[in-house]
Amino acid sequence: MIRNLENLIIKIGDVDRRVIFVLIGLAVLIPLLTPVSLPIRETPTTVKFYEGIEEIPKGSKVLVSFDYGPSTRPEIHPMNVAVLRHMLRNEHKVYISCLWPDGIYMALDALEDISDEFSLKEYEDYVLLGYRPGAEAVIKGLASDLRKVYTVDANGKFIDDIEMMNNVKNLNDFAYIYSGSAGYPGTFEWVKYGGDPTGVRMSSGTTSVQVNEVIPYVRSGQLIGLLAGMPGAAEYEKLVESPGIAIKGMAAQSFAHIVIVVFIIFGNIAFFLKQKKERKYSK
Amino acid sequence: MTLSAMIGAWIAVFLTLSIFSYLYKDNPFYKIAEHVFVGVSAAYVAAISFWTQIYPNLLGRLFPKDGPLSFTGLEFDFNHSFNILYVFPLLLGLMMILSVFQKFNWMARWGIAYTVAIAAGLKAFGYLNSNVLNQVSASVVSLFGENLPFFNISGDSVFNNIVLLLGTISSLMYFYFSKEQRGNFGKLTRVGIYFLMISFGASFGFAVMGRISLLVGRFRELIAYSEPSYNYSTIWLLFLIIAFLFYHSIREKESNT
Repeated sequence: MIRNLENLIIKIGDVDRRVIFVLIGLAVLIPLLTPVSLPIRETPTTVKFYEGIEEIPKGSKVLVSFDYGPSTRPEIHPMNVAVLRHMLRNEHKVYISCLWPDGIYMALDALEDISDEFSLKEYEDYVLLGYRPGAEAVIKGLASDLRKVYTVDANGKFIDDIEMMNNVKNLNDFAYIYSGSAGYPGTFEWVKYGGDPTGVRMSSGTTSVQVNEVIPYVRSGQLIGLLAGMPGAAEYEKLVESPGIAIKGMAAQSFAHIVIVVFIIFGNIAFFLKQKKERKYSK
Repeated sequence: MTLSAMIGAWIAVFLTLSIFSYLYKDNPFYKIAEHVFVGVSAAYVAAISFWTQIYPNLLGRLFPKDGPLSFTGLEFDFNHSFNILYVFPLLLGLMMILSVFQKFNWMARWGIAYTVAIAAGLKAFGYLNSNVLNQVSASVVSLFGENLPFFNISGDSVFNNIVLLLGTISSLMYFYFSKEQRGNFGKLTRVGIYFLMISFGASFGFAVMGRISLLVGRFRELIAYSEPSYNYSTIWLLFLIIAFLFYHSIREKESNT
Protein backbone atom coordinates (compact mmCIF):
# COMPACT_ATOMS: atom_id res chain seq x y z
CA MET A 1 0.00 0.00 0.00
CA ILE A 2 2.68 2.48 1.11
CA ARG A 3 4.93 1.32 -1.74
CA ASN A 4 2.12 1.99 -4.24
CA LEU A 5 1.62 5.45 -2.76
CA GLU A 6 5.37 6.13 -2.99
CA ASN A 7 5.40 5.02 -6.64
CA LEU A 8 2.40 7.25 -7.37
CA ILE A 9 4.12 10.26 -5.81
CA ILE A 10 7.31 9.54 -7.77
CA LYS A 11 5.22 9.35 -10.94
CA ILE A 12 3.58 12.69 -10.14
CA GLY A 13 7.06 14.12 -9.55
CA ASP A 14 8.11 12.96 -13.01
CA VAL A 15 5.03 14.31 -14.76
CA ASP A 16 5.57 16.04 -18.13
CA ARG A 17 6.00 19.80 -17.60
CA ARG A 18 3.27 20.41 -20.23
CA VAL A 19 0.74 18.80 -17.89
CA ILE A 20 1.71 21.32 -15.20
CA PHE A 21 1.30 24.16 -17.73
CA VAL A 22 -2.20 22.95 -18.61
CA LEU A 23 -3.20 22.62 -14.93
CA ILE A 24 -1.93 26.12 -14.11
CA GLY A 25 -3.73 27.42 -17.21
CA LEU A 26 -6.98 25.84 -16.06
CA ALA A 27 -6.49 27.15 -12.49
CA VAL A 28 -6.28 30.66 -13.95
CA LEU A 29 -8.94 30.28 -16.64
CA ILE A 30 -11.78 28.72 -14.63
CA PRO A 31 -12.01 31.48 -11.96
CA LEU A 32 -11.94 34.08 -14.74
CA LEU A 33 -14.84 32.40 -16.57
CA THR A 34 -16.85 31.78 -13.39
CA PRO A 35 -15.91 34.64 -11.05
CA VAL A 36 -15.27 33.70 -7.44
CA SER A 37 -15.19 36.35 -4.74
CA LEU A 38 -12.38 35.99 -2.21
CA PRO A 39 -11.82 38.28 0.78
CA ILE A 40 -9.05 40.86 0.36
CA ARG A 41 -7.12 42.09 3.40
CA GLU A 42 -5.05 45.27 3.12
CA THR A 43 -1.36 44.93 3.96
CA PRO A 44 0.38 47.69 5.99
CA THR A 45 2.41 48.92 2.97
CA THR A 46 -0.78 49.46 0.94
CA VAL A 47 -2.50 51.25 3.84
CA LYS A 48 0.58 53.46 4.24
CA PHE A 49 0.45 54.23 0.53
CA TYR A 50 -3.23 55.18 0.74
CA GLU A 51 -2.66 57.38 3.79
CA GLY A 52 0.31 59.02 2.06
CA ILE A 53 -1.90 60.17 -0.79
CA GLU A 54 -4.66 61.23 1.61
CA GLU A 55 -2.16 63.46 3.41
CA ILE A 56 -1.42 65.55 0.30
CA PRO A 57 -3.21 68.92 0.60
CA LYS A 58 -6.19 69.12 -1.79
CA GLY A 59 -5.51 70.68 -5.17
CA SER A 60 -1.77 69.95 -5.10
CA LYS A 61 0.42 69.29 -8.10
CA VAL A 62 1.35 65.62 -8.35
CA LEU A 63 3.67 63.87 -10.77
CA VAL A 64 2.60 60.44 -11.97
CA SER A 65 5.12 58.45 -13.97
CA PHE A 66 4.07 55.57 -16.23
CA ASP A 67 7.18 53.41 -16.25
CA TYR A 68 5.89 50.18 -17.76
CA GLY A 69 4.72 48.68 -21.03
CA PRO A 70 2.16 46.19 -22.30
CA SER A 71 4.19 43.21 -21.01
CA THR A 72 3.62 44.21 -17.37
CA ARG A 73 0.29 45.97 -17.88
CA PRO A 74 -1.81 43.41 -15.92
CA GLU A 75 0.13 44.19 -12.75
CA ILE A 76 0.75 47.93 -12.95
CA HIS A 77 -2.17 49.27 -14.96
CA PRO A 78 -4.91 48.54 -12.37
CA MET A 79 -2.93 50.31 -9.66
CA ASN A 80 -2.17 53.31 -11.86
CA VAL A 81 -5.86 53.68 -12.77
CA ALA A 82 -6.77 53.50 -9.06
CA VAL A 83 -4.03 56.01 -8.16
CA LEU A 84 -5.26 58.48 -10.82
CA ARG A 85 -8.81 58.00 -9.54
CA HIS A 86 -7.72 58.70 -5.95
CA MET A 87 -5.71 61.77 -6.93
CA LEU A 88 -8.44 63.26 -9.12
CA ARG A 89 -11.03 62.59 -6.42
CA ASN A 90 -8.83 64.70 -4.10
CA GLU A 91 -8.79 67.44 -6.77
CA HIS A 92 -5.07 67.24 -7.44
CA LYS A 93 -3.55 68.47 -10.68
CA VAL A 94 -1.89 65.51 -12.37
CA TYR A 95 1.29 65.75 -14.46
CA ILE A 96 2.11 62.55 -16.34
CA SER A 97 5.60 61.57 -17.46
CA CYS A 98 6.86 58.29 -18.96
CA LEU A 99 10.32 56.75 -18.71
CA TRP A 100 9.28 53.82 -20.90
CA PRO A 101 8.55 54.39 -24.62
CA ASP A 102 5.20 52.59 -24.51
CA GLY A 103 4.29 54.17 -21.18
CA ILE A 104 2.52 56.94 -23.06
CA TYR A 105 -0.03 54.49 -24.49
CA MET A 106 -0.55 53.04 -21.03
CA ALA A 107 -1.18 56.58 -19.75
CA LEU A 108 -3.66 57.30 -22.56
CA ASP A 109 -5.52 54.06 -21.79
CA ALA A 110 -5.65 54.85 -18.07
CA LEU A 111 -6.96 58.37 -18.77
CA GLU A 112 -9.60 56.97 -21.12
CA ASP A 113 -10.73 54.53 -18.41
CA ILE A 114 -11.56 57.35 -15.99
CA SER A 115 -12.31 60.15 -18.45
CA ASP A 116 -16.11 59.99 -18.18
CA GLU A 117 -16.11 59.48 -14.42
CA PHE A 118 -14.28 62.78 -13.80
CA SER A 119 -15.21 64.63 -17.01
CA LEU A 120 -11.48 65.02 -17.55
CA LYS A 121 -10.18 68.06 -19.40
CA GLU A 122 -6.64 68.09 -20.69
CA TYR A 123 -4.61 71.13 -19.54
CA GLU A 124 -7.12 71.73 -16.73
CA ASP A 125 -7.05 68.44 -14.81
CA TYR A 126 -3.93 66.88 -16.23
CA VAL A 127 -0.97 67.38 -18.56
CA LEU A 128 0.47 64.46 -20.47
CA LEU A 129 4.14 65.35 -20.74
CA GLY A 130 4.97 62.13 -22.53
CA TYR A 131 8.05 59.99 -22.95
CA ARG A 132 11.67 61.08 -22.98
CA PRO A 133 14.57 58.65 -23.42
CA GLY A 134 17.47 58.84 -20.99
CA ALA A 135 16.24 57.02 -17.88
CA GLU A 136 17.97 58.50 -14.80
CA ALA A 137 19.22 61.44 -16.87
CA VAL A 138 15.58 62.42 -17.47
CA ILE A 139 14.82 62.34 -13.73
CA LYS A 140 18.00 64.31 -13.00
CA GLY A 141 16.88 66.82 -15.64
CA LEU A 142 13.40 67.08 -14.11
CA ALA A 143 14.98 67.67 -10.70
CA SER A 144 16.98 70.63 -11.98
CA ASP A 145 14.95 72.14 -14.86
CA LEU A 146 11.82 70.50 -16.27
CA ARG A 147 11.92 72.66 -19.40
CA LYS A 148 15.30 71.27 -20.42
CA VAL A 149 13.71 67.82 -20.66
CA TYR A 150 10.23 68.76 -21.83
CA THR A 151 10.02 71.60 -24.32
CA VAL A 152 6.72 70.28 -25.70
CA ASP A 153 4.14 67.92 -24.22
CA ALA A 154 2.91 64.65 -25.74
CA ASN A 155 0.69 66.57 -28.20
CA GLY A 156 3.56 68.76 -29.35
CA LYS A 157 2.21 71.82 -27.52
CA PHE A 158 4.85 74.19 -26.13
CA ILE A 159 5.23 73.73 -22.37
CA ASP A 160 5.36 77.53 -21.95
CA ASP A 161 1.95 77.82 -23.63
CA ILE A 162 0.28 75.47 -21.09
CA GLU A 163 -1.27 77.36 -18.19
CA MET A 164 -1.02 74.38 -15.85
CA MET A 165 2.76 74.45 -16.32
CA ASN A 166 3.08 77.98 -14.91
CA ASN A 167 5.15 77.90 -11.72
CA VAL A 168 6.34 74.38 -12.46
CA LYS A 169 10.10 74.61 -12.82
CA ASN A 170 11.36 71.34 -11.41
CA LEU A 171 10.47 68.42 -9.14
CA ASN A 172 10.46 70.67 -6.07
CA ASP A 173 7.24 72.24 -7.34
CA PHE A 174 5.36 68.96 -6.97
CA ALA A 175 3.80 67.86 -3.69
CA TYR A 176 4.11 64.18 -4.50
CA ILE A 177 5.76 61.83 -6.98
CA TYR A 178 4.34 58.45 -7.88
CA SER A 179 5.97 55.92 -10.19
CA GLY A 180 4.12 52.86 -11.54
CA SER A 181 7.22 50.88 -12.34
CA ALA A 182 7.97 47.55 -13.99
CA GLY A 183 11.77 47.66 -13.80
CA TYR A 184 14.50 49.85 -15.23
CA PRO A 185 14.05 52.79 -15.40
CA GLY A 186 11.53 53.07 -12.59
CA THR A 187 11.22 53.10 -8.82
CA PHE A 188 14.93 52.78 -8.01
CA GLU A 189 15.85 55.66 -10.30
CA TRP A 190 13.02 57.86 -9.01
CA VAL A 191 14.16 57.27 -5.42
CA LYS A 192 17.84 57.89 -6.19
CA TYR A 193 17.56 60.90 -8.50
CA GLY A 194 14.08 62.25 -7.79
CA GLY A 195 12.76 61.68 -4.27
CA ASP A 196 15.97 61.56 -2.21
CA PRO A 197 17.84 64.58 -3.64
CA THR A 198 14.78 66.85 -3.69
CA GLY A 199 13.05 65.64 -0.55
CA VAL A 200 9.69 65.50 -2.36
CA ARG A 201 7.48 62.79 -0.86
CA MET A 202 7.14 59.86 -3.19
CA SER A 203 5.80 56.38 -3.53
CA SER A 204 5.54 53.63 -6.04
CA GLY A 205 3.60 50.69 -7.38
CA THR A 206 5.81 47.88 -8.64
CA THR A 207 5.66 44.44 -10.20
CA SER A 208 5.82 41.55 -7.73
CA VAL A 209 9.31 40.65 -8.95
CA GLN A 210 10.70 43.97 -7.67
CA VAL A 211 9.01 44.02 -4.28
CA ASN A 212 11.79 42.32 -2.34
CA GLU A 213 14.31 44.89 -3.51
CA VAL A 214 12.07 47.93 -3.16
CA ILE A 215 10.61 47.18 0.28
CA PRO A 216 13.70 48.48 2.21
CA TYR A 217 12.90 51.93 0.82
CA VAL A 218 9.52 51.79 2.59
CA ARG A 219 11.07 50.99 5.95
CA SER A 220 13.60 53.80 5.59
CA GLY A 221 10.85 56.26 4.66
CA GLN A 222 12.25 56.90 1.18
CA LEU A 223 8.92 55.60 -0.13
CA ILE A 224 5.60 56.35 1.55
CA GLY A 225 4.09 52.88 1.29
CA LEU A 226 4.14 50.58 -1.69
CA LEU A 227 1.69 48.80 -4.00
CA ALA A 228 3.11 45.32 -4.46
CA GLY A 229 2.00 43.67 -7.71
CA MET A 230 -1.54 42.64 -8.51
CA PRO A 231 -2.45 41.90 -4.86
CA GLY A 232 -1.30 45.42 -3.94
CA ALA A 233 -3.48 46.82 -6.73
CA ALA A 234 -6.48 44.80 -5.52
CA GLU A 235 -6.00 46.01 -1.93
CA TYR A 236 -5.75 49.59 -3.13
CA GLU A 237 -8.85 49.25 -5.32
CA LYS A 238 -10.66 48.14 -2.17
CA LEU A 239 -9.33 51.11 -0.17
CA VAL A 240 -10.40 53.68 -2.80
CA GLU A 241 -13.73 51.84 -3.11
CA SER A 242 -13.55 51.31 -6.85
CA PRO A 243 -13.34 47.56 -7.48
CA GLY A 244 -11.59 46.93 -10.77
CA ILE A 245 -9.72 44.32 -12.75
CA ALA A 246 -7.15 43.62 -10.01
CA ILE A 247 -9.82 42.46 -7.53
CA LYS A 248 -11.41 40.31 -10.26
CA GLY A 249 -8.05 38.66 -10.99
CA MET A 250 -7.23 37.71 -7.40
CA ALA A 251 -9.25 34.48 -7.37
CA ALA A 252 -7.38 33.24 -10.46
CA GLN A 253 -4.10 34.26 -8.84
CA SER A 254 -4.92 32.40 -5.61
CA PHE A 255 -5.98 29.16 -7.36
CA ALA A 256 -2.84 29.18 -9.51
CA HIS A 257 -0.73 29.60 -6.37
CA ILE A 258 -2.44 26.59 -4.77
CA VAL A 259 -1.64 24.44 -7.83
CA ILE A 260 2.01 25.59 -7.78
CA VAL A 261 2.37 24.96 -4.04
CA VAL A 262 0.87 21.47 -4.44
CA PHE A 263 3.34 20.68 -7.23
CA ILE A 264 6.27 22.04 -5.19
CA ILE A 265 5.28 19.78 -2.27
CA PHE A 266 4.82 16.72 -4.52
CA GLY A 267 8.03 17.52 -6.38
CA ASN A 268 10.03 17.67 -3.16
CA ILE A 269 8.50 14.50 -1.69
CA ALA A 270 9.12 12.71 -5.01
CA PHE A 271 12.73 13.94 -5.00
CA PHE A 272 13.41 12.55 -1.52
CA LEU A 273 11.58 9.27 -2.23
CA LYS A 274 13.62 8.84 -5.39
CA GLN A 275 16.85 9.51 -3.49
CA LYS A 276 15.80 6.97 -0.86
CA LYS A 277 15.08 4.38 -3.55
CA GLU A 278 18.39 5.00 -5.34
CA ARG A 279 20.31 4.65 -2.06
CA LYS A 280 18.49 1.38 -1.36
CA TYR A 281 19.42 -0.13 -4.75
CA SER A 282 22.99 1.15 -4.72
CA LYS A 283 23.75 -0.76 -1.49
CA MET B 1 -16.41 47.99 -33.81
CA THR B 2 -13.95 49.68 -36.18
CA LEU B 3 -11.97 47.64 -38.66
CA SER B 4 -8.65 48.67 -37.09
CA ALA B 5 -9.83 47.52 -33.63
CA MET B 6 -10.88 44.20 -35.14
CA ILE B 7 -7.53 43.72 -36.93
CA GLY B 8 -5.68 44.75 -33.77
CA ALA B 9 -7.57 42.19 -31.71
CA TRP B 10 -6.85 39.37 -34.18
CA ILE B 11 -3.14 40.27 -34.31
CA ALA B 12 -2.98 40.45 -30.48
CA VAL B 13 -4.63 37.04 -30.15
CA PHE B 14 -2.43 35.49 -32.82
CA LEU B 15 0.78 36.77 -31.23
CA THR B 16 -0.29 35.76 -27.70
CA LEU B 17 -1.24 32.23 -28.76
CA SER B 18 1.93 31.96 -30.86
CA ILE B 19 4.07 32.78 -27.83
CA PHE B 20 2.05 30.39 -25.65
CA SER B 21 2.61 27.64 -28.24
CA TYR B 22 6.25 27.52 -27.11
CA LEU B 23 5.03 25.76 -23.96
CA TYR B 24 4.32 22.79 -26.22
CA LYS B 25 7.61 23.05 -28.14
CA ASP B 26 9.59 25.36 -30.42
CA ASN B 27 7.55 25.92 -33.59
CA PRO B 28 7.14 28.34 -36.54
CA PHE B 29 4.36 30.35 -34.81
CA TYR B 30 6.62 31.09 -31.87
CA LYS B 31 9.47 32.05 -34.22
CA ILE B 32 7.20 34.47 -36.14
CA ALA B 33 6.00 36.14 -32.91
CA GLU B 34 9.53 36.35 -31.53
CA HIS B 35 10.96 37.98 -34.67
CA VAL B 36 8.04 40.40 -35.00
CA PHE B 37 8.51 41.43 -31.37
CA VAL B 38 12.25 42.09 -31.72
CA GLY B 39 11.85 44.00 -34.98
CA VAL B 40 8.91 46.13 -33.90
CA SER B 41 10.48 46.95 -30.51
CA ALA B 42 13.78 48.08 -32.04
CA ALA B 43 12.09 50.19 -34.72
CA TYR B 44 9.59 51.70 -32.28
CA VAL B 45 12.25 52.74 -29.74
CA ALA B 46 14.45 54.21 -32.51
CA ALA B 47 11.58 56.21 -34.01
CA ILE B 48 10.18 57.50 -30.73
CA SER B 49 13.65 58.43 -29.42
CA PHE B 50 14.23 60.52 -32.53
CA TRP B 51 10.90 62.34 -32.46
CA THR B 52 10.78 62.95 -28.70
CA GLN B 53 14.42 63.71 -27.92
CA ILE B 54 16.72 64.32 -30.89
CA TYR B 55 14.22 66.36 -32.89
CA PRO B 56 12.96 68.81 -30.22
CA ASN B 57 15.84 68.84 -27.74
CA LEU B 58 18.90 68.58 -29.99
CA LEU B 59 17.92 69.88 -33.42
CA GLY B 60 15.56 72.39 -31.78
CA ARG B 61 18.52 73.94 -29.94
CA LEU B 62 21.03 73.81 -32.79
CA PHE B 63 18.68 75.05 -35.48
CA PRO B 64 16.13 77.27 -33.70
CA LYS B 65 13.89 79.67 -35.60
CA ASP B 66 15.86 82.78 -36.63
CA GLY B 67 19.04 81.25 -35.15
CA PRO B 68 22.58 81.76 -36.50
CA LEU B 69 22.31 78.56 -38.56
CA SER B 70 19.06 79.58 -40.27
CA PHE B 71 21.00 80.19 -43.49
CA THR B 72 21.30 76.40 -43.86
CA GLY B 73 17.56 76.27 -44.43
CA LEU B 74 17.10 74.07 -41.37
CA GLU B 75 14.77 75.56 -38.75
CA PHE B 76 13.00 73.70 -35.94
CA ASP B 77 10.76 75.87 -33.81
CA PHE B 78 10.53 74.58 -30.23
CA ASN B 79 10.78 77.93 -28.41
CA HIS B 80 14.51 77.40 -27.89
CA SER B 81 17.37 79.78 -28.35
CA PHE B 82 20.58 78.71 -30.08
CA ASN B 83 23.02 76.82 -27.83
CA ILE B 84 26.41 75.98 -29.31
CA LEU B 85 27.15 73.42 -26.54
CA TYR B 86 24.71 71.01 -28.16
CA VAL B 87 27.23 70.51 -30.99
CA PHE B 88 29.15 68.15 -28.69
CA PRO B 89 26.36 65.59 -28.13
CA LEU B 90 25.63 65.77 -31.87
CA LEU B 91 29.27 65.03 -32.71
CA LEU B 92 29.56 62.23 -30.13
CA GLY B 93 26.35 60.70 -31.43
CA LEU B 94 27.54 60.82 -35.03
CA MET B 95 30.86 59.28 -33.99
CA MET B 96 29.01 56.41 -32.34
CA ILE B 97 26.99 55.80 -35.50
CA LEU B 98 30.21 55.79 -37.56
CA SER B 99 31.27 52.63 -35.74
CA VAL B 100 29.32 50.67 -38.36
CA PHE B 101 32.26 51.39 -40.69
CA GLN B 102 35.32 49.42 -39.66
CA LYS B 103 37.65 52.24 -40.67
CA PHE B 104 36.01 54.66 -38.21
CA ASN B 105 35.49 52.11 -35.48
CA TRP B 106 37.74 53.94 -33.05
CA MET B 107 35.49 56.99 -33.12
CA ALA B 108 32.74 55.19 -31.20
CA ARG B 109 35.06 54.90 -28.19
CA TRP B 110 34.84 58.64 -27.47
CA GLY B 111 31.07 58.55 -27.25
CA ILE B 112 31.09 55.35 -25.22
CA ALA B 113 33.78 56.75 -22.89
CA TYR B 114 31.68 59.88 -22.31
CA THR B 115 28.53 57.84 -21.64
CA VAL B 116 30.32 55.45 -19.28
CA ALA B 117 31.94 58.30 -17.34
CA ILE B 118 28.64 60.18 -16.94
CA ALA B 119 26.74 57.02 -15.99
CA ALA B 120 29.40 55.95 -13.48
CA GLY B 121 29.42 59.34 -11.77
CA LEU B 122 25.65 59.62 -11.74
CA LYS B 123 25.10 56.10 -10.45
CA ALA B 124 27.84 56.29 -7.81
CA PHE B 125 26.23 59.31 -6.17
CA GLY B 126 22.69 57.90 -6.36
CA TYR B 127 23.71 54.51 -5.05
CA LEU B 128 25.79 55.88 -2.18
CA ASN B 129 23.14 58.33 -1.08
CA SER B 130 19.98 56.21 -1.43
CA ASN B 131 21.16 52.64 -1.03
CA VAL B 132 24.07 52.97 1.38
CA LEU B 133 23.69 56.05 3.58
CA ASN B 134 19.89 56.06 3.83
CA GLN B 135 19.69 52.30 4.33
CA VAL B 136 22.42 52.32 7.00
CA SER B 137 20.66 55.09 8.89
CA ALA B 138 17.32 53.24 8.56
CA SER B 139 18.84 50.11 10.08
CA VAL B 140 20.08 52.02 13.13
CA VAL B 141 17.14 51.56 15.49
CA SER B 142 16.66 51.78 19.22
CA LEU B 143 16.18 48.12 20.18
CA PHE B 144 14.01 48.78 23.23
CA GLY B 145 12.49 52.11 22.20
CA GLU B 146 9.94 53.86 24.38
CA ASN B 147 6.46 52.27 24.52
CA LEU B 148 7.53 49.67 21.96
CA PRO B 149 5.49 46.44 22.18
CA PHE B 150 7.52 43.24 22.41
CA PHE B 151 5.79 41.72 19.38
CA ASN B 152 3.88 43.31 16.52
CA ILE B 153 3.54 41.51 13.18
CA SER B 154 3.06 44.60 11.01
CA GLY B 155 4.75 47.47 12.84
CA ASP B 156 7.79 48.34 14.94
CA SER B 157 8.43 46.08 17.92
CA VAL B 158 11.32 44.92 20.07
CA PHE B 159 11.22 41.49 18.43
CA ASN B 160 11.27 42.97 14.90
CA ASN B 161 14.19 45.24 15.84
CA ILE B 162 16.17 42.25 17.14
CA VAL B 163 15.46 40.33 13.90
CA LEU B 164 16.57 43.39 11.89
CA LEU B 165 19.81 43.70 13.86
CA LEU B 166 20.58 39.98 13.75
CA GLY B 167 19.67 39.70 10.04
CA THR B 168 21.77 42.69 9.02
CA ILE B 169 24.88 41.73 10.99
CA SER B 170 24.82 37.99 10.25
CA SER B 171 24.16 38.51 6.51
CA LEU B 172 26.97 41.06 6.27
CA MET B 173 29.33 38.76 8.16
CA TYR B 174 28.63 35.97 5.67
CA PHE B 175 30.31 38.13 3.03
CA TYR B 176 33.35 38.80 5.23
CA PHE B 177 35.97 36.48 3.78
CA SER B 178 39.11 37.54 5.68
CA LYS B 179 38.35 35.15 8.54
CA GLU B 180 37.60 31.46 8.24
CA GLN B 181 33.92 30.76 8.92
CA ARG B 182 34.42 28.43 11.89
CA GLY B 183 33.47 28.32 15.57
CA ASN B 184 31.23 31.10 16.88
CA PHE B 185 31.91 33.20 13.80
CA GLY B 186 30.84 30.25 11.62
CA LYS B 187 27.61 29.90 13.62
CA LEU B 188 26.86 33.59 13.09
CA THR B 189 27.47 33.35 9.33
CA ARG B 190 25.25 30.25 9.23
CA VAL B 191 22.42 32.37 10.65
CA GLY B 192 23.23 34.87 7.89
CA ILE B 193 22.79 32.13 5.26
CA TYR B 194 19.34 31.34 6.68
CA PHE B 195 18.34 35.00 6.44
CA LEU B 196 19.60 35.11 2.85
CA MET B 197 17.72 31.91 1.99
CA ILE B 198 14.49 33.33 3.40
CA SER B 199 15.06 36.42 1.24
CA PHE B 200 15.65 34.27 -1.88
CA GLY B 201 12.50 32.28 -1.08
CA ALA B 202 10.49 35.49 -0.82
CA SER B 203 11.96 36.66 -4.15
CA PHE B 204 10.97 33.38 -5.79
CA GLY B 205 7.45 33.65 -4.37
CA PHE B 206 7.09 37.20 -5.65
CA ALA B 207 8.45 36.16 -9.08
CA VAL B 208 5.84 33.37 -9.33
CA MET B 209 3.12 35.79 -8.26
CA GLY B 210 4.21 38.28 -10.92
CA ARG B 211 4.18 35.71 -13.71
CA ILE B 212 0.73 34.47 -12.73
CA SER B 213 -0.53 38.08 -12.72
CA LEU B 214 0.71 38.47 -16.30
CA LEU B 215 -0.99 35.21 -17.26
CA VAL B 216 -4.23 36.47 -15.71
CA GLY B 217 -3.92 39.62 -17.83
CA ARG B 218 -3.37 37.73 -21.08
CA PHE B 219 -6.19 35.28 -20.36
CA ARG B 220 -8.54 38.14 -19.60
CA GLU B 221 -7.84 39.63 -23.03
CA LEU B 222 -8.13 36.26 -24.76
CA ILE B 223 -11.54 35.80 -23.12
CA ALA B 224 -12.62 39.29 -24.20
CA TYR B 225 -11.55 38.65 -27.79
CA SER B 226 -13.41 35.35 -27.94
CA GLU B 227 -16.72 37.21 -27.95
CA PRO B 228 -18.97 37.49 -31.06
CA SER B 229 -18.09 41.21 -31.43
CA TYR B 230 -14.54 40.11 -32.31
CA ASN B 231 -15.78 37.29 -34.56
CA TYR B 232 -14.60 34.67 -32.01
CA SER B 233 -10.97 35.50 -32.84
CA THR B 234 -9.48 33.54 -29.90
CA ILE B 235 -11.43 30.37 -30.70
CA TRP B 236 -10.66 30.43 -34.43
CA LEU B 237 -6.97 31.15 -33.99
CA LEU B 238 -6.59 28.61 -31.17
CA PHE B 239 -8.15 25.96 -33.40
CA LEU B 240 -5.93 26.98 -36.33
CA ILE B 241 -2.70 26.89 -34.31
CA ILE B 242 -3.52 23.56 -32.62
CA ALA B 243 -4.43 22.02 -36.00
CA PHE B 244 -1.18 23.25 -37.55
CA LEU B 245 0.94 22.00 -34.62
CA PHE B 246 -0.78 18.61 -34.81
CA TYR B 247 -0.10 18.38 -38.56
CA HIS B 248 3.47 19.62 -38.01
CA SER B 249 4.20 16.95 -35.37
CA ILE B 250 2.80 14.17 -37.62
CA ARG B 251 4.97 15.34 -40.52
CA GLU B 252 7.97 15.50 -38.20
CA LYS B 253 7.37 11.93 -36.99
CA GLU B 254 7.01 10.72 -40.59
CA SER B 255 10.23 12.37 -41.68
CA ASN B 256 12.07 10.90 -38.67
CA THR B 257 10.92 7.36 -39.54
